[in-house]
Amino acid sequence: MSIWPPQLEIAVLVLGAVLLLIEMFFVSLDKRAIAYAAIASLATILVATWYLAPALPAQATGLWSFYTADPLAIFFKRFALVTTIIVLVMMLDYTRRSTSSFALGEFFALPIFTCAGLMYMASAIDFVSIFVSLELVTISFYVLVGFDRKDPASLEAGVKYLVLSALSTGFLVYGITWIFGVTGLTNLNQITAAFEKIDIDKNAATFGALLVLVALGFKIAAVPFQIWVPDVYQGAPTPVTALLSVGSKAAGFVVLIRVLRPFLMLPHMDRLLLIITILTLLYGNLAALPEGNLKRLLAYSSIAHAGYLLIGIVCLDGAAITFYLVAYLLMTLLSFAVLIIVAQQTGESISDFDGLATRSPFLAFAMLMAMISLAGVPFTAGFFGKFFIFASAIAQHQFALAFIGVVTVGCGFYYYLKVVRAMYWNSSDKIDNIHVSMLSRVTMTALIIAIVWLGIYPQPIFRALEPTRISVALRSTTTR
Amino acid sequence: MITLGNYLTVSAMLFTIGFAGVMLRRNIVIILMSLELMLNAANLSLVAFSRFHVDLRTSLPNYNAQVFVFFIITVAAAEVAVGLALIVALYRARRTTHVEDLTTLKF
Repeated sequence: MSIWPPQLEIAVLVLGAVLLLIEMFFVSLDKRAIAYAAIASLATILVATWYLAPALPAQATGLWSFYTADPLAIFFKRFALVTTIIVLVMMLDYTRRSTSSFALGEFFALPIFTCAGLMYMASAIDFVSIFVSLELVTISFYVLVGFDRKDPASLEAGVKYLVLSALSTGFLVYGITWIFGVTGLTNLNQITAAFEKIDIDKNAATFGALLVLVALGFKIAAVPFQIWVPDVYQGAPTPVTALLSVGSKAAGFVVLIRVLRPFLMLPHMDRLLLIITILTLLYGNLAALPEGNLKRLLAYSSIAHAGYLLIGIVCLDGAAITFYLVAYLLMTLLSFAVLIIVAQQTGESISDFDGLATRSPFLAFAMLMAMISLAGVPFTAGFFGKFFIFASAIAQHQFALAFIGVVTVGCGFYYYLKVVRAMYWNSSDKIDNIHVSMLSRVTMTALIIAIVWLGIYPQPIFRALEPTRISVALRSTTTR
Repeated sequence: MITLGNYLTVSAMLFTIGFAGVMLRRNIVIILMSLELMLNAANLSLVAFSRFHVDLRTSLPNYNAQVFVFFIITVAAAEVAVGLALIVALYRARRTTHVEDLTTLKF
């Protein structure tokens, strides 16, 4: 039996709705059962992505002018599903010592809607579907970020995210409006064709494209649209921060890859992207240097990684971006998973990790792997991620970018290894052992193995993307 | 005769007023209203573009934009519903809706 691609999103949405209904009507049910059911169902849907109907003939009618099921889309659907499953495992850990506001099933059901939005976003090839899926993700994040109503920090982060995110939505919609005004179209492929003509108003189109880029820059946390990141990451419940930093960013980059084809036909776009990339690299890495709170440190690190990913965007290397995002998923989720467990015992600042190696060797090792991979030590996935990015920068003669990238990696070593030093060299008076549940132990082990495996043998990711040749497609549009 | 330019000017003014409101006002409810103004500026210009992008064969307006406007209205309503709920929760916890008082997280 083969599955029609849009059925995946429908299945995820139905799952979310059913779980909400179960939560509502079975009052006495242990809410954690909802999370286990969600994990099992999402894993089933993940398996189902390998049984999709073969690629349809290139149609552009009806649904297919809004939705594509090319290998890039399928790959990022899997990416979204894996992220959500791991985040749900983290949520189980997070709610173990539950305060009353987390004893609600919605906390486990809302990430499923976010996941559906991320999956739609991976397939969106029309500004209407991009807008609607982006908002599905954003609105469920409003609720999730401010979910801990007893905690003023969480509410405050929720309001900040609401205002700045809605602002970026305003820019996105107004930008789309201008692109529509110039071309009379909303489909990205048709817009690409329209931009090739000479008689369009390039200035108006560039204005619209600029506004859309602002909105996407907000999603991927690029400087100067990053001001919300440290506060929201720190205030939000930690599993939500993990979902925000991986899922939201990956989806932003998929949309960016897709809109880049039409946008690069407009004047000044490449130069603008170059400036944003340099600013993001410098800001993210330099701001992280003095940071003592690990959650905020990871927020700045997420800005820095957006910078490395933007190098890939400037060099139009879709495969390198995808590999980097996979590596980023593994190491970021691993570090958040450890952070959640340790934060319940002690706290979120780096000094709370003092002597973790004696308190829990397993957690310390997991954090060590996450940190050296984030820093980019060889034989980890993070190393190859940066390697491919810099390789394509040099191949494209972007030597300035490659140079700044390598220098900022040096900064990265300093602040990531600060955590490692706290765990292995600093001693602590706290000697209580930390309990790690079986499920999260299995998840973390899987993440560690994946980091090492991709650090030695990165080919599987490229093979999964092979038929797309997105980088080739992108290059052919710009060299012309 | 009202031209496309007139509509676009009004729309740009609305967008600017909304953006200035988000940047300058300090009350979160007002900020939310300004955000809605920005979305409605886009709606106005979309409808105007739709009206003036006439299909030469059928002499009908380009209805794609009008459909998009319905999507924007729906999403904006959902956004406001969640946003107001967040603001109410914030007011209950902190007894304030002013952005200056949001200082729990260091900046």
